[in-house]
Amino acid sequence: MTVSRRTFIVGCSAAIAAMTGSAVRGLAFAQPGDTTRRDILVVVFLRGGCDGLSLVAPVNDPFYKGARGELRVEESGQNAGLLLSNTIPGADFRLHPRATLLQSLYINRSLAIVHACGLRNGTRSHFEAMDYMEGGIPESGVPANGWLARYLNSINASGYLPAVAAGTRVPFSMVGFNDAAALTDPTSFNLSWNSWRYRSQLNQALDAFYSGDSPVQQAGRTTLTAIARINERLPRDSQGRVIPYTPETGVRYPGGRGASLGNALRTVASLIKMDIGLLAATVDYGGWDTHEGQRWIFPELVAGLAEGLYAFYNDLWRYHDRLTVVVMSEFGRRLKANRSGGTDHGHGNVMLVLGEGIRGGKMYGVWPGLATEQLDNGVDLAITTDYRAVLAEILIKRGALQTVDQVFPGFRGSLLGLAYSPGETIERPHRVNLPLVTR
Amino acid sequence: MIWSRRRFLGASATMAGAGIVDFPGKHTSSITFQTHSQTDLAATPPIELIALNRMAYGPRPGDVARVRQMGFTAYVDEQLNPNDADDALCASKLTSARLRIQYDAGMGYPAVDEMRLLRTIIENWGLAQLWPLTKHPAYQERIRPVEEVRAATLIRAVYSKWQLREVLVEFWHNHFNVDAYSDTRISATWPLYDRDVIRRHCLGNFRNMVRDVAKSIAMGFYLDNAFSRDGPANENYARELFELHTLGQENYLNHLYNRWRDVPGALEGNPIGYIDQDVYEAARAFTGWTIAHGQTISGSLRLPDTGEFAYVDLWHDNAQKRVLAFEIDPNQPPLSDGETVIRLVSEHPGTARHICRKLCRRLLADDPPDSLVNRLARIWLENKDASNQIAITVRALLLSDEFASTFGRKVKRPFEVVVSFLRATNAEVTPNRDLFWQLQEMGYRMFNWGPPTGHPEESAAWLSTNGMLRRWNIINYLQSSWLKAATFDLPGQTPPGLTARQIVEFWVGRLLAVPPPTSTMNRLIDLMRQNGSADAPPTGSADEIADRIRSVVTLIAMTPEFQLR
Repeated sequence: MTVSRRTFIVGCSAAIAAMTGSAVRGLAFAQPGDTTRRDILVVVFLRGGCDGLSLVAPVNDPFYKGARGELRVEESGQNAGLLLSNTIPGADFRLHPRATLLQSLYINRSLAIVHACGLRNGTRSHFEAMDYMEGGIPESGVPANGWLARYLNSINASGYLPAVAAGTRVPFSMVGFNDAAALTDPTSFNLSWNSWRYRSQLNQALDAFYSGDSPVQQAGRTTLTAIARINERLPRDSQGRVIPYTPETGVRYPGGRGASLGNALRTVASLIKMDIGLLAATVDYGGWDTHEGQRWIFPELVAGLAEGLYAFYNDLWRYHDRLTVVVMSEFGRRLKANRSGGTDHGHGNVMLVLGEGIRGGKMYGVWPGLATEQLDNGVDLAITTDYRAVLAEILIKRGALQTVDQVFPGFRGSLLGLAYSPGETIERPHRVNLPLVTR
Repeated sequence: MIWSRRRFLGASATMAGAGIVDFPGKHTSSITFQTHSQTDLAATPPIELIALNRMAYGPRPGDVARVRQMGFTAYVDEQLNPNDADDALCASKLTSARLRIQYDAGMGYPAVDEMRLLRTIIENWGLAQLWPLTKHPAYQERIRPVEEVRAATLIRAVYSKWQLREVLVEFWHNHFNVDAYSDTRISATWPLYDRDVIRRHCLGNFRNMVRDVAKSIAMGFYLDNAFSRDGPANENYARELFELHTLGQENYLNHLYNRWRDVPGALEGNPIGYIDQDVYEAARAFTGWTIAHGQTISGSLRLPDTGEFAYVDLWHDNAQKRVLAFEIDPNQPPLSDGETVIRLVSEHPGTARHICRKLCRRLLADDPPDSLVNRLARIWLENKDASNQIAITVRALLLSDEFASTFGRKVKRPFEVVVSFLRATNAEVTPNRDLFWQLQEMGYRMFNWGPPTGHPEESAAWLSTNGMLRRWNIINYLQSSWLKAATFDLPGQTPPGLTARQIVEFWVGRLLAVPPPTSTMNRLIDLMRQNGSADAPPTGSADEIADRIRSVVTLIAMTPEFQLR
C-alpha cells in the first residue's frame, strides 16, 4: 500500500478517514487575502535540562558506558535502546527504550533529531540558560524580548489569536509580543460575574477601566480581547453551551508524569481546531532536573514526552501540512553520573523537530565524541550545532521569516537542511511499522 | 508600548513623567480621596497606606487610623519586633480553624472525612511527632502538615497583627524555595521548615538562616544534598546555594572565566563573583551532609530513621578544596568544610547586594535604584554578625526616602490580591483546598513551586491573560456560593443612610490606596444609583441594593488600581 506522509498513525475509524475531503482552510493565514505560507509553530520546552545522552544515547561509546554505569541506555538486554536508521557517524545512536512512539514518528519520517546542539554560552545555570535561549541571543546579555516574539512581530502576526502559551504565564520566548495569550483551558476562559442582574453594566465598566495605556491596563485589554475572540470561536451546542473538547478517536493524551504536557498540548490542539489564526504556541514540560533518582524519574518523563507528542500529532492529523513542533531544553546533563543516582548540569543536548515539512527519519548535526579532550570543559557533551540554526531554518522554511537577523541578530551559522522549503516536493516514506490510515 | 518583563518600572515611570524618587505628594497627611481626571497610577498616597500595602497585606478596617496615630517610624519598629503573645485575634482564628481531610479506606487504614483542627500548628508539633507521618499509609496524612501550614499562612496573612513578619516569611519561603509536595518526607515535616527555619530567622541573621536551611529536611531532600556523597558529589544544592540563595545570578561569571584565578580579585582572596569551579568545590564540601532516614552507611551500619540532620564522614570528601579563592585544608573536622562555605557565600559583598536588591524588589519596586541597594548592602555587611541583621537592613529600607516616595510599582501577586481583598472587606476566612487550587490556577503555588527560584518577582510575570482573567474572577469566586473559603457581609458593613456616591466613596476608601480616575468613580456611582440620584440613598428593593453594593465592591477590586501596591 502506498502510504502518504499525511498519515494518522494510530488506528482510526473509517468515518474519520472519510472526513478527509473537508479540508480545513484559512487557518495558517492571518487575514483574508494574505496568502503567505506559514506553519503553526509549537515549541515544547523541557524545563530543567533534559538528559539528551539518555534520550538519544550513543549506546556503544566506551566513554559513555564507563561514565554512566547503570544510568545508561544499553545496546542489548532489557534496557536496550530503540534502533534508529540514518543516524550521524560517531556512535550507535538509540532512542530511550520508553520512547517507542517517538521511534514510530521517526520511522514515519515525521521526526528529525539534532544532536550535540545548544547554547554557545558556557552557563550551567538553568535560569540563565533559559533566559539566553529564549531570548535567542546566547553570547551575553539578555534581550528585552524573546525570539518567538521577534518572529511574530517581524511577520506582523495580526491574526485573531496569533500566539498562545498553554499555561498560566507567557514564557520569555514570547515576551514582547503584545497579543500573546496565556491560558490553560479555552472552554472556561470567560468572566464569571456573581451578579446576573447587573452583568452587562459590569462588563461595560470593566471594559472602560482597561482602556488606558498603563501596563496593567494594556494587559487587561489584551485579556478582554482574547476572551472575546476565544468565546466567539468556541464550538457550542444549540443551547449555546460550550461543547467540551474531544480529541480525534483513538487519541489518548498521557496521564502520570506526562499529564502536564498532555493537558497543554490538548489545549493547543483544541485552539488550532477552533480556526483561530494561531501561528505559534508554547508548551512547558518540567521535571527534567534529574540530579537524583534519574533511573526512576527519567523513563516516566520520556514516556510522557513520547505519548504526548504522538497524541498531539495524531490529534492534528488534518493539519499536518501546516504544523511544526520543536522540542528543546536549556542544556544537557553531565556525561559522568554522580554518586547519588543522577546527573548534574551539562552542556550539549538533543533537539527534536516534528512535522510533515521536516525531512524526518534522519539525524542531523556533528558528533563531537565523548573522550575527555572532546568534551566541553572536559566534562560535558560539546556543542557542534548552535540551537539557533534549527530554529532559524524552521522560521525561514516553515514560518514566514524573511531574514534570520530579524529574529537572531548576528547569527551566522549555516542551516542543516532539515526542513522542506515551501513548494519543495516532500519525499514519501517507504517503510512504516505501525498500522496506518491514509489521509 | 513594548513589554519587557525587566522594564515594568521604567515603563510606568515614563508614563507618569517622573523618576523613581521624585513623586509629588509625599507624606500627605489626608486620606480624603480626590478624584483625578486622568489615570494617575503613580500618585503617591499617604505613608500609612504605602506601609499597609507594602509591609502588610493591605489595610484592614481601622489600620490606617492606627498607623497614622502611632506614627510611621513607631509602626516600623513595632513590626520589626513581633510578639506572638500580642496577637489575640490571629491566635483565636488559628485555634478554631478547621481544614477538611478526606480519603478512602486503603490497605490497613479506614476512610476519613472530617473537619480537623490545625493540630500540627496549634500544638507545635516537633520532629518526633511529624516524622512518623512520613510512613503513614494514607497520602492525605503525609501531606496534611503542609496543608495545615498553608491554611495557617492564609489565616496569619489575613489576621495577624505582625504583618511585616508575614510579608517577610513569604519572601524567605520564596528565596529558599522548596516544593513541599515533591517528597512526602518534606510535606510531612513542613511545619519544622516553616517555623524553625523560615519564621525563626526571617528578621534574624542571614548566615544562621543559610546554615539552618542547609541542614533542614526540606532543603536536604529538595535539592538532593541528603543523597550527596564523595565521588562525584551531587551539585544540585551547591549550585543553587550560590546562584539563588547567596551571590545570585548577577555574580555568576562562568561565561567570562574558566579558571578560578582569572576571576578579578581572586588572587587577592576577594573574587568578585563565582564560576563552576566554585560550585564543584562547594558540592564536595557538602558531601556527607544528610538527613537520617534509615539509609545504609556500610554493611549493616545504618543511620536511624528519625529525620534528624546527620553528618556521615564516610561519605565526605576530605581532600583540600578552594572556594571563592579561599583554601580549605584537607581533613577538617566534621561539618567544617560546609560551614566554611556557608560563611564565605553568606558574607560575600555580592550576596549583600543580591539580597538587598531582592528585598527592594519585594517591598519597593521591580527596578530599585542602585544607590539604595548599595546603601542597604553596606548596612547588611556591617551587621553580618548581628542577631538581627535582617531586621536592621529592612528597617533602613522601610525608612528610606525611596520607600515613602514611590507607590504602585508592584503588581500584586495572586496571594496578595486575595488576602488584601479579604482584609479590606473584613471577611471571615475559612481556608480550604479549593482556594489554594484557585491560587494555583492563577500561577501561585504556595509551597508547591517546582523550580528552586520561587515565584517570579517581576510584575509583568503576573499580567498574562490567564493571570488577568483569574484575578478578576477570583474576586467573584470568593463571594460565590461554591468556593466557601470566606464569608462576607458587605451590605452590613456599609454605614446606613449613605447616598449612592457616599457608598462608593466608602468602599473605594476601604479598597484603594490611590483615588481612581473620575471616569471610574462615575461608573461605580452609576452602578450604585441605577435610576436614582447619586446624591440620594439608593432606591430599589433591599435585595437589589445589596446586589449593587456587592457588585460595586467586586468592581473596585477589579480596577487597575487595586492590582498595584
